[in-house]
Amino acid sequence: MVTGVPRLYDAIVIGTGAGGGMAIKTLCEAGLKVCAINAGRRLDPNKDFRHHRKPWDMKFRGFGDPAKRAESYGYMDNEWVEGVWEHEIPFTTAPGTQWMWPRCFAVGGKTNFWGRSSARMGDIDFRAGSLSGAGVDWPLEYREIAPFYSRVERMIGVASTVQNRPSNPDGEYLPAFNFRCLDHILQQGGLKAGIPYLPDRLAQLTRSLDGSPPCHFCGACTTGCDTGSFFSTPWRFLPRAEATGNLDLRTNALAKNVLVDENGLASGVAYVDRNTGQEVEVRARVVVVAASCLESARIMLNSKSRTWPEGIANSSGQLGRNLCDHLYGQSAEGYLPQLLGQPSFPDNVGDAQIAWMPRWQNLENPHEEKFANGYSVYPWGGCQEYPWDAMSIEGFGSSFKREVKRRYPTPVSFSIQAPSLPSPTNYLDLDPEVKDKYGIPVARLHFQWDDNVLQMFEHSKQACAELLQAAGAVNEGAAKDPNMPGWSLHETGTCRMGNDPKHFVTNRFGQTHDVNNLYVCDASVFPSSTDKTTTISILAFTLRTCEHMLDNFRNGVHRRA
Amino acid sequence: MAGQDIKRREVLRAIGIAAIASHFPGFVKWAYAGAHEPASDDPAAASPQAFSPQFFSSEEFARIERLSELIIPSDETPGAREAGVAEFIDFMVAHDTEQQKPMRAGLAWLDEQSGRRFARPFLEVSEAQQVSLLEPLAYSARYRAGEEAGREFFRRMKELTLMGFYSSEIGWRELDNPASRFYAKSPACPHVNDPAHQHLPPPRW
Repeated sequence: MVTGVPRLYDAIVIGTGAGGGMAIKTLCEAGLKVCAINAGRRLDPNKDFRHHRKPWDMKFRGFGDPAKRAESYGYMDNEWVEGVWEHEIPFTTAPGTQWMWPRCFAVGGKTNFWGRSSARMGDIDFRAGSLSGAGVDWPLEYREIAPFYSRVERMIGVASTVQNRPSNPDGEYLPAFNFRCLDHILQQGGLKAGIPYLPDRLAQLTRSLDGSPPCHFCGACTTGCDTGSFFSTPWRFLPRAEATGNLDLRTNALAKNVLVDENGLASGVAYVDRNTGQEVEVRARVVVVAASCLESARIMLNSKSRTWPEGIANSSGQLGRNLCDHLYGQSAEGYLPQLLGQPSFPDNVGDAQIAWMPRWQNLENPHEEKFANGYSVYPWGGCQEYPWDAMSIEGFGSSFKREVKRRYPTPVSFSIQAPSLPSPTNYLDLDPEVKDKYGIPVARLHFQWDDNVLQMFEHSKQACAELLQAAGAVNEGAAKDPNMPGWSLHETGTCRMGNDPKHFVTNRFGQTHDVNNLYVCDASVFPSSTDKTTTISILAFTLRTCEHMLDNFRNGVHRRA
Repeated sequence: MAGQDIKRREVLRAIGIAAIASHFPGFVKWAYAGAHEPASDDPAAASPQAFSPQFFSSEEFARIERLSELIIPSDETPGAREAGVAEFIDFMVAHDTEQQKPMRAGLAWLDEQSGRRFARPFLEVSEAQQVSLLEPLAYSARYRAGEEAGREFFRRMKELTLMGFYSSEIGWRELDNPASRFYAKSPACPHVNDPAHQHLPPPRW
């Protein structure tokens, strides 16, 4: 802990999730004095992670209080982690926009409960704009970021296999999770249907790493981990930062705006102490915004000054724009008759997530399909904690009860992960009227799925139907509509990086073009969405951003406090 | 050591259960259902005190309990009655304003049907007659026009019964539910020489 709190810090980091956590650790270990501002409390794994409890130990059996159903964020906002998802700070949607926005303001943010899938992006992603003609390219090549991915993989531990796929570069992996019966059956179907079915890349320890024990395969990852066996910043990064003595972590500190000096440079951050309702100002040489894609844009848009009347570092007018999201939706569901009546098997040990079907479309020829770019699919299935498919079995009585048991090991389903394209009509701004209880304008979302991503969804339904047929499975159909936008938690683009200050918010290092001591370390800097998840890329890009910043401290661009 | 960690967690979990159970007065059977042997000859032994429903009248509650055991009967293995499913349903409906009206109306509808066909309320007709009242609500091939409300009620009743049963320890035993156990290694398919799984042992049930 910092003793004799300094008046001026070297750096303030807003947020403690993947980007914030990596920034805090990297900067503290380099000797900088860091003030971290986090909007919520610290979680106590012994109290807040209730995931080894059985449903009959829970008041509502894990189904949740029906009275809170309307405000729940769904599967992840449940009785096992009550009170960890944010419900106090509202947001609004423009007419015609639907948006679901689960926010975890607790220390560590969404890394406490994330999905752990951790594929590298590659040049097929960074050059998607010129390859497909839709969107923009990223201002770097894969070979520049590859060493950072390697370092991150060694730091956090990712279990997978070398796969030699053209769409997703291989990395440095711990032993993969073993395939279950259903994986082998579906993989055989995939071989016949021409669809890759491979071990996912999971940031989950299959052997111990740097003092963290290996996974105990309880399967409750979405409700937190009490042994730190999958990557999260409170388990793996923040203790290291605190051990340096360079970190002052302020909790329940809701960032309001970035403060600027007379030259328009960042001079600190104003936050509201949620315990007292008082506004507090902290000062630093450098400010890192890492509050997640939408929150970072909201804070920067709300940072209005004489120099920055439209929000800090927004001379391009692109702040809050280019919002992309992953379309998620059920591409197919069914069951595997091969496994009817077979003994139950612990299929859920990776919280259902063991395999993936990495992008197989538009690889050789970017215009092979009717849609631009490509998507991935995550398969799920087998014996779950609750037999969710039992309601689809007709009838009642002893024959029904027996059929539920016979079907228990058999269900499978597929969820698409498909990137939307940047659009001038998909963006975030500040609601001109609605403010939260602290008087801060709330975020207003404007978002519609584009035709391209909806075509991917339809394509995936056909592909998964073919795979199921080839696997000898019974196909019970797909969802008509995708999940609500926002559901994936993979938003990108609101502070996109690029070389031209007229069109991009940050440069290729995540440093804002307009304000050279303001950096952005989350998925908001990603210029486009891909078929991959965002967390491992946030970690790799943040590490690169922070080392660039440390260079700037060394070469005099920034002065130490 | 990881093994010791797991033991410690098991102990903490057991302490947690006792603490939680004591917070929910009003439960007799289901909060403790897991603590009782499901194979007990006398299911009532799991219910040392009389239960008073929070939402349903005692007469409605008797119909809920009967319906739950028709859906998940006690046969070679324990069913909804032993798992205290009716108490769970009463508890959930008491906390769910959207369910209250349709559940109550559905129970009345069922009695009315029973009265029309067998001149007696649902609880007083034979099991075969009770089953014959439910079948047109449960099997799509036997659906009848004009019974949409009855089918909707049966769907609700069935869903609540499944929720109550398969989230109980008895329900977990029924499925041999492997969730929330700890493993030293990622469990692997035991049939790697048969990837298409064409030559498995015959189904167990």
